[in-house]
Amino acid sequence: MTPILEVQELEAGYGPIRAIDGVSISVEEGEVVAIIGANGAGKTTLLTAISGVVRPRGGTIRFAGSPITRMRPHAVTRLGIAHAPEGRRIFQRLTVRENLQLGAFARTDRAGIRRDIDEICGLFPVLGQRMGQLGGTLSGGEQQMLALARALLSRPRLLLLDEPSLGLAPLVVSRIFEVIAGLPAKGIAVVLVEQNARAALRLASRGYVLETGRVSLSGPAADLANDPRVRDAYLGE
Amino acid sequence: MFDTEFFLQQCSIGLTNGALIALVALGYTMVYGIIGLINFAHGDLIMLGSCLALSLVTAVGLAEAGPSATALGILFLVVVCGLFCGLVNVAVDRLVYKPLRKAPKLAPLVSAIGVSFIFMNIGLFWIGPADRSFPELVPATNLLPVESLRFTAKDLLVVAIVMPLMVLLSGLVKFTRIGKAMRAVSQDPTAAALVGIDVDRVIATTFFLGGALGGAASVIYGLSINTIGFQMGFQNGLYAFTAAVLGGIGNIPGAVVGGLVIGLVRALGSGYFGERWTGAIVFAILIVILVFRPEGLLGRRTREKV
Repeated sequence: MTPILEVQELEAGYGPIRAIDGVSISVEEGEVVAIIGANGAGKTTLLTAISGVVRPRGGTIRFAGSPITRMRPHAVTRLGIAHAPEGRRIFQRLTVRENLQLGAFARTDRAGIRRDIDEICGLFPVLGQRMGQLGGTLSGGEQQMLALARALLSRPRLLLLDEPSLGLAPLVVSRIFEVIAGLPAKGIAVVLVEQNARAALRLASRGYVLETGRVSLSGPAADLANDPRVRDAYLGE
Repeated sequence: MFDTEFFLQQCSIGLTNGALIALVALGYTMVYGIIGLINFAHGDLIMLGSCLALSLVTAVGLAEAGPSATALGILFLVVVCGLFCGLVNVAVDRLVYKPLRKAPKLAPLVSAIGVSFIFMNIGLFWIGPADRSFPELVPATNLLPVESLRFTAKDLLVVAIVMPLMVLLSGLVKFTRIGKAMRAVSQDPTAAALVGIDVDRVIATTFFLGGALGGAASVIYGLSINTIGFQMGFQNGLYAFTAAVLGGIGNIPGAVVGGLVIGLVRALGSGYFGERWTGAIVFAILIVILVFRPEGLLGRRTREKV
């Protein structure tokens, strides 16, 4: 079976900085893959290069078998990759409903969109209560839920999540991770970038450790969680 | 004694001129809202629209047409000049501003000033150095039954073209898919691209709409002022730009309010203090408002949220 995402020898950076330098990862259909690593290891750059926000300088990205390297971000999204970016980036001066509708921008099935918005409100009831409120008035946790919901509304086959737990209360984090854990059953593969390595590795089937722009370790999540190097550097033991 | 009729007359003139200023201001504010560029060439683009309108009127011989043909002809001018200015604006964005999208803000700004000069030279080449008179297609006959208060057919023409365009624009921005995309791009282009919006196309559409409104304004300008010249873009652009800033640059209703306020201030200023003071009064008011409300009348207070 071809993997849904196959990244080979990817290089990307900003000006003279090489943020990622020959990273290869693959993601199977309906699988959660965790990317862990310290600040500045290149985790966010990896995601932005996949979604087309940053233009890769080298290497290839294939999605469901076809090359998407250097495609523009809106085209990547339309192929079925949703990216909930670092810092959530919800539309602060649009309502929650408008944010959700924009998530489904590329879709034309009005009835399906309405159904999906209802379903999302089932997953995150607080969003249902705040439909008419401006995005910027939501709390951090609510904004993260909205960012995740907006990404899901494009009906992706692959979801790129950048630090969904950053700065949030434990209760909110566990709710968000619960929803992420349910995605593979819906046929959505996930690349999860997380500082919270323990939680990420619990959720994922496999993981990659990034160190200064390169993959230093990879393997089944359970093995990584027990690897002394990972335990030492990222699990704080 | 306070002369009510004189006051009302100045208000009527002011609001009519203000509507025209607002139409031009929309072109500044829309482009600023979407890419943060003050498009200094906008006034000169409108001058080019007026040149085209004049050429068309001459070519078609519209000055000799009957009333119903004249009405149709004006509609034709608005459509053609609107398309022309819209497409020229899109072309300039493609050729000049788009390659500078990631450059520091000053680069496209200076380029816009350059485009402004290029347009002015095209205008000079097109209609010559002297002011040209624009045929009086719509008479200045008073439509009101009283002698002392005038609201002419020309004034009606301005209102009859500007109002529907503004309603159309606000409906488009509020309710349509492209309107929603425009609002999304103006708030966060990266996030907009990530939900599947083709940001470049939205920017091109914005340039087209802003230019097209300017094209409509260029026809109205010719028909109501009846004199055009290759340098007309500068001053008209400046007043419209001021209106956009006054209302809160980037804010569409703000541009309309700003335009009307500036129109009123100009008319009342020239009515009560004399024509020569209007420029000074307008800009003094702009400075005062910007000191106390830097975000403009309807602008948002920007508060960065981390």
